[in-house]
Amino acid sequence: MFKLKNFRKRSLWILHYNAGSCNGCDIEILACLGPTYDLERFGVLNRGNPKQSDMLLITGPVTYRSRERVVELFTQMPEPKVVVAVGSCTCTGGVFSGMYNVEDGVDKYIPVDVYIPGCAATPEYIIDGVLKGLELLEHKSKEIVKPKKLFKKLSFHKDHIDRRGIAGKVGENDGKD
Amino acid sequence: MFEIIFVLSAPLLGGMLQGIERQLRARMQNRMGPPLLQPFYDMFKLIEKRPMIVDEAHTVFAIMHFLTLWAVVAMLVLGDNLLYVIFLHLLATIFLVIAGYSVKSVYSHLGANRELWVLAVYEPVLILFAVAFYLLEGSFSLQSIYSGQAHLFALLPLFAAMVLVALIKLGKSPFDAAHAHQEIIGGVEIEYGGVFYEFLYMAKWVEYIFIYTLFWLFAGSNLLLGIVLLAGVFVLLNLIDNATARIKISDLLKVGLIWGVGLAFINIVGLLYV
Repeated sequence: MFKLKNFRKRSLWILHYNAGSCNGCDIEILACLGPTYDLERFGVLNRGNPKQSDMLLITGPVTYRSRERVVELFTQMPEPKVVVAVGSCTCTGGVFSGMYNVEDGVDKYIPVDVYIPGCAATPEYIIDGVLKGLELLEHKSKEIVKPKKLFKKLSFHKDHIDRRGIAGKVGENDGKD
Repeated sequence: MFEIIFVLSAPLLGGMLQGIERQLRARMQNRMGPPLLQPFYDMFKLIEKRPMIVDEAHTVFAIMHFLTLWAVVAMLVLGDNLLYVIFLHLLATIFLVIAGYSVKSVYSHLGANRELWVLAVYEPVLILFAVAFYLLEGSFSLQSIYSGQAHLFALLPLFAAMVLVALIKLGKSPFDAAHAHQEIIGGVEIEYGGVFYEFLYMAKWVEYIFIYTLFWLFAGSNLLLGIVLLAGVFVLLNLIDNATARIKISDLLKVGLIWGVGLAFINIVGLLYV
């Protein structure tokens, strides 16, 4: 039967963001998209544009300076969306865990769907993780997903949600920080 | 009858063409590549996503861009005047530029600026293209071009210039600075999301049909030459796209103005005096 929802898993556009990574995982992600591992055979493209992407691929332990950018990029992505944390640093902080300028993993700030371990995560793991995210995408609703921190109430403009207003308020102290 | 079906299904045919192209490019790089219907899967996914409007005028101009381009293809196939077609195509591009300027986004403005720069390169070539056919056929009439003889060998330099224009217009390396994805994140298309981006995505498909139909004019009524020409141009464009890296926008202007406009101009002078 023809259902538009079935096409979510056929086409996936990725937004890749480096939240203070050492570039090890980023190189592996680019290797996945290149000719050797060829993620494009599943319809995966790296768009680099939050407004057109379905998946946020984050690498790095989320440094203090990059946390606002992570939350802002997350709020700019239209639903349904999944978040994939690539590498040990992004899952738990990894070797940087406990350092003064590092936030120990991205899941303090935004809800993460798939964790990919490894330092650096191998291309095989990344492909598995991305495809796992693809399966999850099918069960996602189109409700607004809120970040966990650095985020106040949803703001509205006329009848619809004002994403620019939301993005402008990211980073203000919300009392939970 | 065949022409009307062709015009009505132009976006679908363009989507098919893009699917074949993505597959061909993948094979050239020795990888599997996406399925042939991948552009349509992307389309259904984009329709299904949560809609997002940055600005109303911005969205309307994207839809206008798509509809005008479709009208361009209709005029090119059914209409009678080549010059009108080229000016209506200019209008479609202007809609895209206005869309780029109508939001407060630096990358969108940068993309619109670059769109205007490349317009200055390919528009003279397109007009000289129409002039060359006027010199050979005695009128701008499209129907006489379609039913006339093949002019490919009288217009070889212009043909080379048109290959350059096709590379610019379809956003292929090395001349894709206007839509550069890693550099200005798609330029004009950056602020679109969901179903509204779909119109720009489909406009790209219609653009394919427009450019390849222009190449069809070189073959006149010679069906076999036309098919060989289109297949050759299709492979050539993708080969160049795969084998080269992007050049800067200033270099694009130099190369485009010297080689594109230069070759077209030499061709016109040759037609007039030789």
